[in-house]
Amino acid sequence: MATVQSLEDEIKQLIIEALVLEDVTAAEIDLEAALFVDGLGLDSIDALELAMALEERYGVKIGDDPDQNRQIFASVRALAAFVSESRS
Amino acid sequence: MHTHPTPLSRLLAGGGGDATRVAFGRSGERTRRDLARDVAALASAITAVGAGRWLLFSADSYATAVGLLALASCRSLAVLPPNRRPETLRRLAEGAVGALVDGDAATVAGLPALAPLQQRAALPAAPPCLDREAPLVEFWTSGTTGEGRPIRKALRHLEDEVAVLEACLGAGLGRDARIFATASHQHIYGLLFRVLWPLALGRAFQAETLLHTQELLPRMRESEAAALVTTPVHLRRLAAGDDLRELRGICRAVFSSGGPLDPETARAVAEQLGAAPIEILGSTETGGIALRRRDLDGDVWHPLPGVEIARREADGRLEVTSPFVSVGDDAGGGRARSVLGDRVDLVPGGGFLLLGRADRVVKVGEKRLSLPEMERVLASHPGVAEVALLVLEPAGERRVHAVVAASPAGQALLERGGRRALRSALTQHLAASFDPVLLPRAWRFVGALPRDAQDKVPHASLCALFGDRAPMRPTAPKLIDERRGAEEFVRQLEVPADLAQLEGHFEAVPLVAGVVQLGWVLAAAAEWLGHEPELSGLEALKFPEPLRPGRRVTLELRRSADGQQLRFRLHGERSVYATGRAILAAGRTGAA
Repeated sequence: MATVQSLEDEIKQLIIEALVLEDVTAAEIDLEAALFVDGLGLDSIDALELAMALEERYGVKIGDDPDQNRQIFASVRALAAFVSESRS
Repeated sequence: MHTHPTPLSRLLAGGGGDATRVAFGRSGERTRRDLARDVAALASAITAVGAGRWLLFSADSYATAVGLLALASCRSLAVLPPNRRPETLRRLAEGAVGALVDGDAATVAGLPALAPLQQRAALPAAPPCLDREAPLVEFWTSGTTGEGRPIRKALRHLEDEVAVLEACLGAGLGRDARIFATASHQHIYGLLFRVLWPLALGRAFQAETLLHTQELLPRMRESEAAALVTTPVHLRRLAAGDDLRELRGICRAVFSSGGPLDPETARAVAEQLGAAPIEILGSTETGGIALRRRDLDGDVWHPLPGVEIARREADGRLEVTSPFVSVGDDAGGGRARSVLGDRVDLVPGGGFLLLGRADRVVKVGEKRLSLPEMERVLASHPGVAEVALLVLEPAGERRVHAVVAASPAGQALLERGGRRALRSALTQHLAASFDPVLLPRAWRFVGALPRDAQDKVPHASLCALFGDRAPMRPTAPKLIDERRGAEEFVRQLEVPADLAQLEGHFEAVPLVAGVVQLGWVLAAAAEWLGHEPELSGLEALKFPEPLRPGRRVTLELRRSADGQQLRFRLHGERSVYATGRAILAAGRTGAA
């Protein structure tokens, strides 16, 4: 069974690949850092892409509760936790 | 003193002064007598192979003049390839009878080849009668999809423009100015300014195309009077070294065309030579449109005599009506009307300002962005020497991509802090003026922007720099030809075998979906009407037969009498792929 840590690595890789990010390596992405606006600096277009990529890869669906989504996408750590919960 | 251009037909008859110098160069001087003899010899050789479509490309401008006149006298069409790449020549060789090229090869691109200056005729031919209306030259230019399009010019388009150029600019040149050039005669600007205009007025032109811009200067210095036909990129280099100063008093005029000339270079030339370059605005489709000299006119362009300009209401694009336009709507009296991709503002007094290409205003994430505007902001950063922006979809969504040629300051930043440092500095610079989703998502830092033989930056070359981000599959059909009339608009398209929209549709049998074909219809309508058509509906939509990749299709658009409907039909030779009617929303008629 995959550990949370390797799931976090997977998600970092997913973000980089799905969004075709340049000048960023997985090692450089801080697990606790913000994903949107600050930190990684992703924007609303990235949000759509990322949601689609997550659904495709893990079968998780992002809901329409903005507060909940803000929490889910707060950081790579938060996102990995969400995916892990949804799968079990 | 009035100088009248000698019509090309008279040149063939050897009239206008046999000893008049035509060209000079490494092989010595050529006179009109030489020209008439060389043309007659070549014409006999061409006749022996057969009249028709002939490729013409030579590095030598005199050989090009001989080739052109010989083909004209044989009622043949001179096709000028924009470059010498094998694929280009192969494509242009379709339907051609022969090729006029330098060298000894017996065939080129599968065609019988003749060297323009190596023919010996047995008998001088009788001076032919030239038809002013017959197509004389076919240029090839890149259209909006990046693929080449053929554009034909009749003798009258070229002769008449030469007459106007002389009327406007001849006095400044004087009769004895020798014409030097960096611009290629394979394109209309070079052909007119370095070959046909000098030829008609008895001014000698340089036969060779020099490899290095620097080689021009000593040669020009040897002349008593000279003029230079060049492009912004070459002129920047020439002006940068202060080398032009030595030509003061010799160089009567510097012509620049092919792209916008930056004010700094214009000022540097003015300072060194005493006058700013004469910039020419034109296109292959329209011929010459307007002139400007920055030291006299600022940014304002002034139309050439005989050219009517207007601002198209729908999208602010420049509408040109003149006798030099060869692709456009008939406007009567030998004139035609064409719309350019550039938006303009008219100024009192008849001049106009260019505002940038309409198709460079894009939507990214529902936000509108003028790419030229962002380029301007980026170019103002000290780390940037030149920049080109484009929109690509690496992850399925449109994103701005940037190609930057760094300035010395920018290079220093790259060395100190790597890509990240320069990228971060430029992104922050932009963030002050642009919405976050518009900021470039990927950057390429290059030594210089990729340019083609016309000094333009081809979209395809920019895309290629980002080829590693996503495989570049075409998302639009290839435009083979286009015919525009008042009542109808017809496009010949080819469906690329690797069209991106074929993905998944369907795995076993790739077909072009109906909705994709509709997209092509609407794109054609937008080009014809000058604006994105607003529809209130579609009627009688039918897709009788499936459209497979690799096919050529004809897309026909017709307006209904009341202008409220656009009827469209996509068909092949024996198959019909799509038909229907697009109903235009109220308040927006099909008026173009």
